[in-house]
Amino acid sequence: MATSKKEKTKIKERSKKADKKQKNILEMLKSHGAKIYDDLENGQFPKFSIPSRSVSNIVYDKKLRQYILGTNAAVRSSRNSAQLRSFTQLMWLAFFANRLTHEKKSSTLRDVYYSSQAFAIEFEDQSESDNIIVDLEAVTSKPREDFHIFPEERSSIFGDLTIEYTIPGYEGKTMNLSNHPDGYSIGPSLTTAELVDTSAEIVIAIEKGGLFTRFVEEQVDKKFKSIIINTGGQAPRSTRTLLKRLHEEMKLPVIVLTDGDVYGEHIAMVIKSGSANAAHLRELTVPDAKWVGVWATDIEKYKLPTIPMTESDIKRCYDLQKDPRYQDGIWKKELDVFLKLKRKAELEAFSKYGLTNITDKYLPQKLELAKSL
Amino acid sequence: MSSIKEKFNQISPSEFFYSNRDLAGFSNPTRSLYTAVREFVENALDACDQKGILPDVHLTIKAVDPDKSDPKPYILTVKDNGPGIDAEHIPLAFGTVLYGSKFGLKQARGMFGLGATMAILYGQITTNKPVTVKSSVDGATQDTFELLLDIQKNKPVIVKHTTKDISKTGLSVSICLEGDYSKAGNKIRDYVYETSLITPYASITFDDPKEQKFSHPRFVKEIPPPPTIIRPHPHGIDVERIRRMIVESQFEIPIIDDAMIEKVRKDLGLSVKNLSFTVIMDKGKKKWKTLPRQVRVVIALMSFLKMDFEKLNKIRIEDIDMPNKKLFYWDFGDSQSKSVDMDPEGQYYKQLTNTVQGEPLTTFLTKRFQRIGPTTAVKFAEFAGFKPEKRMGTLSNQELVNLSDSLQKFEDFMAPDSSCLAPLGEAPLEKGIKKFFNPDFTSVVQRSASAYSGFPFIIEMGIAYGGDIKSGGPHVYRYANRIPLLYDEGSDVVLKVVNDTDWGRYKVKGEPPFIIVSHICSTRIPYKTAGKENVADRPEIERELRLGLQLLSRKLAAYMSKRGQADMAKKRANLYAKYLPQIAEFCTELAGKKKEPNYKKLLEENAVESKQITEEEENKIGNK
Repeated sequence: MATSKKEKTKIKERSKKADKKQKNILEMLKSHGAKIYDDLENGQFPKFSIPSRSVSNIVYDKKLRQYILGTNAAVRSSRNSAQLRSFTQLMWLAFFANRLTHEKKSSTLRDVYYSSQAFAIEFEDQSESDNIIVDLEAVTSKPREDFHIFPEERSSIFGDLTIEYTIPGYEGKTMNLSNHPDGYSIGPSLTTAELVDTSAEIVIAIEKGGLFTRFVEEQVDKKFKSIIINTGGQAPRSTRTLLKRLHEEMKLPVIVLTDGDVYGEHIAMVIKSGSANAAHLRELTVPDAKWVGVWATDIEKYKLPTIPMTESDIKRCYDLQKDPRYQDGIWKKELDVFLKLKRKAELEAFSKYGLTNITDKYLPQKLELAKSL
Repeated sequence: MSSIKEKFNQISPSEFFYSNRDLAGFSNPTRSLYTAVREFVENALDACDQKGILPDVHLTIKAVDPDKSDPKPYILTVKDNGPGIDAEHIPLAFGTVLYGSKFGLKQARGMFGLGATMAILYGQITTNKPVTVKSSVDGATQDTFELLLDIQKNKPVIVKHTTKDISKTGLSVSICLEGDYSKAGNKIRDYVYETSLITPYASITFDDPKEQKFSHPRFVKEIPPPPTIIRPHPHGIDVERIRRMIVESQFEIPIIDDAMIEKVRKDLGLSVKNLSFTVIMDKGKKKWKTLPRQVRVVIALMSFLKMDFEKLNKIRIEDIDMPNKKLFYWDFGDSQSKSVDMDPEGQYYKQLTNTVQGEPLTTFLTKRFQRIGPTTAVKFAEFAGFKPEKRMGTLSNQELVNLSDSLQKFEDFMAPDSSCLAPLGEAPLEKGIKKFFNPDFTSVVQRSASAYSGFPFIIEMGIAYGGDIKSGGPHVYRYANRIPLLYDEGSDVVLKVVNDTDWGRYKVKGEPPFIIVSHICSTRIPYKTAGKENVADRPEIERELRLGLQLLSRKLAAYMSKRGQADMAKKRANLYAKYLPQIAEFCTELAGKKKEPNYKKLLEENAVESKQITEEEENKIGNK
């Protein structure tokens, strides 16, 4: 199948776009490096400023509908002997990220921890290196995926979506994500790929792998013209990035289906408005994402089998009641009902009415409802 | 009742100590050997101190039969270069218990010289060998005695006495006693070592039974000023002591016999021929001020009797009734009792009153106690409810108890005189600590004199850190009146104060290499036991120790923080040297450059900076 001229131009544009993004990252790292280089050359102790990630500096931005960092920033200076070690670690990480980006090689948090040892950089344990990675994100305001540092893959995607790889060896290659019924894991190559085309009209994010398989089996993608994404519990950041891109680049609405408990509600909230942990980043949220169930009110409505809430479930409810994002709408209402019921229901609870009940009955009702949310 | 009392008196002090030798530290061969060493070394040092002689003390312990296993007999010899003891006193001094010259109130290592006699007694009991004493007072002849103690009679038995020519003064005492050097050796070596720290002006050598020589030469050439003997402080007194003082101050009416008349005649400077009453009185009045008490009393009596020497010879004084101002006497000639009235005006009446009824309270206080002036004495009399002129001889038992109580309670007495104390002094103490431990930091303090229960005391303390000091501190060296205290440290007041200190607050952490030296000087150290090993926790002493230690600890903390800063500067310099090259390496590639930036300037500047800090700190510490 010959590609048309029009298509070729599109491909070029897309690869240009990816190159440009890479170039931007490299430029930014270079400018940081140059500043430090000049400081040293001029006999100055190099330093840079890092936005403070302390609780007191995390504020909720109503306009952005997510948590962001306030204006407090800390200076990390190589003059300060107490900061010298972490300064050097951060310096090394920037250097390492620069190499990764340059060579288009991907790595994981754990890789970074072990790689440090080749350069005589000491990390006490992986959590120390993880922290430095977050420092780099905060300094550059870029997620680590931009530096080719990815989480372990555990979430997956299925549906009619054509992508074009940008990673070395696959550049220009396209792939449709409905060819393999187990779905496609959302890894570095998918995260960095260009989104080319889709016939889908909605993205359904679902909390559990079991239900994801059921949805594929029952051809939810075709029946409801949807892309199905398994978040595998709390959605990883690469998955959240993909959700955001599907929403913004492909103009697809996003709905979220979770277990009927407080943790499920919060999985949906994190997809919608991010987490306090990632308050230093702004490319991870889908503010228009909708949580469609399982709601606390659904438990009674559908007479679902329930299990009692644990003490930690209840504590979590009270914690979330203080969160500014849970002060109105269904978020507040459902939370209050959970607290009243003190019981929860899983997505699998619909199996009580037959294995396909959830796709045949519940999902259509919820999709209909989502339009009015 | 009286027969029981008589039996008590028949037990001699020797016998008493024989049956109670545990009390004085002679409980077993290990402890006894150690105690004997201490007693003789301390006597030698005390003797030299008293005469202001720089002491040379030689201690030798030799096994009688080296092949025997411990415990076994040892010959212990302590030789000094002190003043020696007169040959006539030697048998009594070394052959009786409770014979000694150290009974005055001043600081000395030992109180009565009792311990040495105990050691001799112990040696005799365990080996049945005599003590050998060699002494030279004039540096020309030396007397050598071999003595045994007659325990029942508390009397010396001279086995042998020889004399020979010699060129030095000094005393050497040698006893044979059962001991256990394999167990006591450590303590004895520690004792000699620690003694030389607190006695830096003494040269001490020790030849041990294993033919090892330990030599501690003197490193201070000046002997500290010797203490003076002083009167007691009212706070440190009890009823019995007052009773004895009153007895000392009262005098019997002298028996007027030929010898007494002869003495009066001589003191007045009169010739032998008969003299009239008026001539005697005239002469007496003129010479009154220079006359001894007994002569004054005789003249006062003559003034009332209006008799010359010849008549005086023929009477006997029967009674002096001061309240009724009557003098009764027996006239041998008329064989009957007669009396004369006494004129209460004038010095003669006063003289007799003093003699019969003792001194007035105020005189008693000012003359026989330290630091009481006439004003304080009158104030005290008012406080205690006595007339100031109350005669001491007329006090009833109850009044005596009241007086004693009031003396304790009256708070306006001045603090006890500390001139009876002989602290070592800050400079010699510091020199000693520096020589012994070669420390990085030393500080010493001598607190001003204080008192507990009327006994004055002075605390001297030293603290040292680093150098040759072993880690695991604080190591505490305890001294009392220049004696090292080695046993029973657990219950000692110094240890209590040291253990109460939170060393973390003074920046001393972990297993620090530091020592504390404490020296308590007092006319009476409140030992908890007769063995002289641990000091009781009197609040006054504890307070002074605490204040002294706090002062030193603060200085140590200042040093530690400077030391910490210097360490930190060094550490920092190391950090820069480690990390700056890495930063340079990474940023070179990041910035896309070929050549590394010249970060060496930063390193050099920084090294210079931290080196300066270190030197400054060292100078400061050195100059202190």
